[in-house]
This record gives sequence, C-alpha cells and structure tokens, in this order.
Amino acid sequence: MDHSTIPISNLQLAFSVLLILISGAISSLLKLGLLKPLLWGSVRTFIQLTLMGYALTYLFIINNLWLILVIVTLMCYIASKTAVKRTPNVPNYPSMLAFFSLLASTFLVGSIVTGLIISPEPWYSARIVIPIFGMILGNSMNGIALALDRLYSEARSRSTEIEALLTFGATPWEAIRPSLREAVRAGMTPTINSLMVVGLVSLPGMMTGQILGGADPQEAVRYQIVVMLMISAAVAIGCLLLVGLSYKKLFNKDGALEPFILHSRQ
Amino acid sequence: MMLFRFEGITYTLGLRQERKISVSGSLNEGFALIVRGPSGAGKSTLLRVLAKLQTCLAGEAYLEEKSWQEIPVTTWRSKVHYLSQKPALFDGTVAENLARPFGILAGTKKQFDPNLAARLMKELLLPSDLWDQDARTLSGGEAARLAFIRSLLIDPMVLLLDEPTASLDEKSRCAFYEVLSRWLAQPSKAALLISHNNDFRELSQLAYLDIDSNPRR
Repeated sequence: MDHSTIPISNLQLAFSVLLILISGAISSLLKLGLLKPLLWGSVRTFIQLTLMGYALTYLFIINNLWLILVIVTLMCYIASKTAVKRTPNVPNYPSMLAFFSLLASTFLVGSIVTGLIISPEPWYSARIVIPIFGMILGNSMNGIALALDRLYSEARSRSTEIEALLTFGATPWEAIRPSLREAVRAGMTPTINSLMVVGLVSLPGMMTGQILGGADPQEAVRYQIVVMLMISAAVAIGCLLLVGLSYKKLFNKDGALEPFILHSRQ
Repeated sequence: MMLFRFEGITYTLGLRQERKISVSGSLNEGFALIVRGPSGAGKSTLLRVLAKLQTCLAGEAYLEEKSWQEIPVTTWRSKVHYLSQKPALFDGTVAENLARPFGILAGTKKQFDPNLAARLMKELLLPSDLWDQDARTLSGGEAARLAFIRSLLIDPMVLLLDEPTASLDEKSRCAFYEVLSRWLAQPSKAALLISHNNDFRELSQLAYLDIDSNPRR
C-alpha cells in the first residue's frame, strides 16, 4: 500500500471553487443573504491558509522558542476577541478576562500534552506545538463563548432568584452559583457530545488529515485520543476560569446585581 | 426605642436616571412605616436601596444606631430584609423553598424550624398538604404567602415589604396582617410597607412617609 500523500495540484484546487458555487446558488435561490459572507469567507480561507502554509514552513525551519511563544499568545488573543464578539447577551465585556482564561488553560493543557505525552525533540518543536495549541484554542474559544453567553442569560432569567438569595444574606458567589453551573455545562456540552460519538458519527479533522496524509490509522487513532482528552480538559479549565473571573462583573461594589442585568436587553 | 433610621437616602429613577429622589425617615420598634406616593414615585426603589440591592448616591441608614457602612452587606441584607413584590421561587418543593435560606446561613446560629414554618403556613391559611408540592405549581397568592413565611423564618429586624398583599384575597389579607402585627409585637422588630390597598389599618402602630412625586430634572 502506498503511504505517501497524493498532492493536490493548482488546477485540482481550483475545482474546489465549484463547491462554493453550489452553496452560493442555494443561498441566492432561497434569498438567505449569505452570498456575500460566503464569498468573503472563501476568499479569506484561501488567503489565510495559504499565508499560514508559508508561515508554518518558515516557523518549522527556524523553530525558535520565543517566536513560538509570541505566535501562540497572539493566537490566544485573536481567539479571545472572537469569543467575546459573538455573545449577544453580553454587553461591554472586557476581553482581557477571556484572553487570560484561554491563555492559562491552553498553556497548561498544551504543555502537558507536548511536554509529557508527545515529548518531541526539542520539547517546544513548532511542528507539534503550533497545531496542538491551535486545536486546543479553536475548541476552548467556542466553549468559553458559549459559557459566557449562558452566564449572562442565566443571570438575566434568574435575576429574581439571585436577588432573593442576596436578601437571605447570600454572597454574590452563593447567589450566582446555580447560574455558573449552567454556564460551565453549556460550555462543555459540545465537547462531551463529541467525545460520545467520535469515530461513530465523525472522524475528527486531525485523524482524517493524518490518514489522508498517509499515516497508519492506528497511529492516527492514538493521536486523536490524546487530542480529544486534551480538548475536553482545556475546555473545562477555560470555562471554569472564565466564569470564575467574570461573575463579579454582574455585581456592583455592594454585591448587588448590576442594573443592566435587570433591564431589558439593549 | 428607635430601631431603624435613614437620612438623605438619594437615588435616581428611570433608565437614564432622569429623576433624583432624596428621602429620610425613622422607625421605632414595633412600628410599621407606610411608604406612600403615586405609582412610579420610587417607593419600591427606596426599599431596594435600603436593602442594598440598588446603588445609593448619598445618605446613610442605621440599624440600632449602627451605620450600614459598619455592617457587612450580607448581614445587613438578612437583618434589613427586602421582600420583593414578585415572589422568588426555587426548583423544589414548598418545604425546600422554605428551607432555602438556611443552606446559605449555614455558618450562623439560624436553623430551619419546620414546626414554626408549618404553624405560619396554617396561620396564613395555606393547607398543610402544600408542604410537599412543587413550588413552581403554586398560585400567585400562595407563592406570595410562601415568600412571606420564608422571610419571617430568616428572622430579620426590619422587613421591607413591597405590596405584600397585592395578590391576596380578602380572607388571606386579614390573616397576613394578623401574622404581621404579631411579628411586630416582638422586641426589636419594625417594617416598611408599600400598599395600594389601604388595608394596613389593622396594624396598631403606624407611621407614614410620603415620597415626593414632583419630578426634579
């Protein structure tokens, strides 16, 4: 059996544009108004990934620890900005808190995986670190966005209960705890669902990539197990950190609910 | 004896904080202070401010001559206790709802007294078979009385009651005031009360506080 990658030529890559035309046709036929974001998204995919391809080649060659750290921190920053942007229930959220949660959870879990489990030579090998950290970030970004949005919407819908608990003499932490639990649960649910069905419903992207790249499926499976568990750990830590850091934003200095939680959504 | 006093309590009303109100008042042991004023005058907001549920721009409140700045906010809220017009219900049975505050007050001496709770339920004309019923299935009037009982069980010194009888019928309203006046007759108890029904005359010791209804811009 031939274990090498089958390369995609420029012409073959151009054929993939046909696929956008299909989704574009559906969009314009049903007037979904998605044509523009679809085209823009496709253009961005081509540009971002092409640039990333060059950047990665370069990064892998020079393999400098500090450069890798800068890149990974920058990735965390972009992920935190993105996570905070699409949360309709959350006004004026300081993205620093999201950045810190992502940075801490990604570095903690990422270091365990690269240092302890995969242990490449050298330990900060860009070929391992960047894709691993990227996978962690992509998943925790979605996790914390869900958790954050749920935290605020829970606080809104439970404001009567939260205030009642405060009048009983509860601290903000005691009053918000049921909402925190729901928020972390919401952030972790997609990850747990994917743990349940992996291999049955979906072959995850990384494993698929390795198999298409000619790797032995059993090798790919081992990597994928590590990746799945690492993602669930990172999402859990990220969500927990985020809600733990964020819940104080819902209360004023007297420990009462902020008015924006009690009013209608702006 | 003076139990509760507030001076120059200043707060704003409206989403854009367009109206500013300043109120003072004092309350002797055993008295009920009736807060009067037209709808939207800021009566509920006053009670919420006094319970430290809403920001106060200026002024100070004193419980037994001790300023609210010297008392931890959680202690303050359990002593100067606000009962919302919208009764808060938690998942679980009526009994679990009544015991809910004591999960929080675990560090204190206060403990849930099921006998007292059952007695209050009876006095407020709630049938005893409600005890194990899901609290989310209660009617408006039942829920209001449940929340009132829960507030009494916390054993506050000052009750801030925001239209407590709004959803009660004539009979349970009478029962409510009987329970309240008996509670006020205990040492170191007082209440602030908002009511649109003028039904509070059954209370023996009354004082009045009128809130300025002129919008000051």
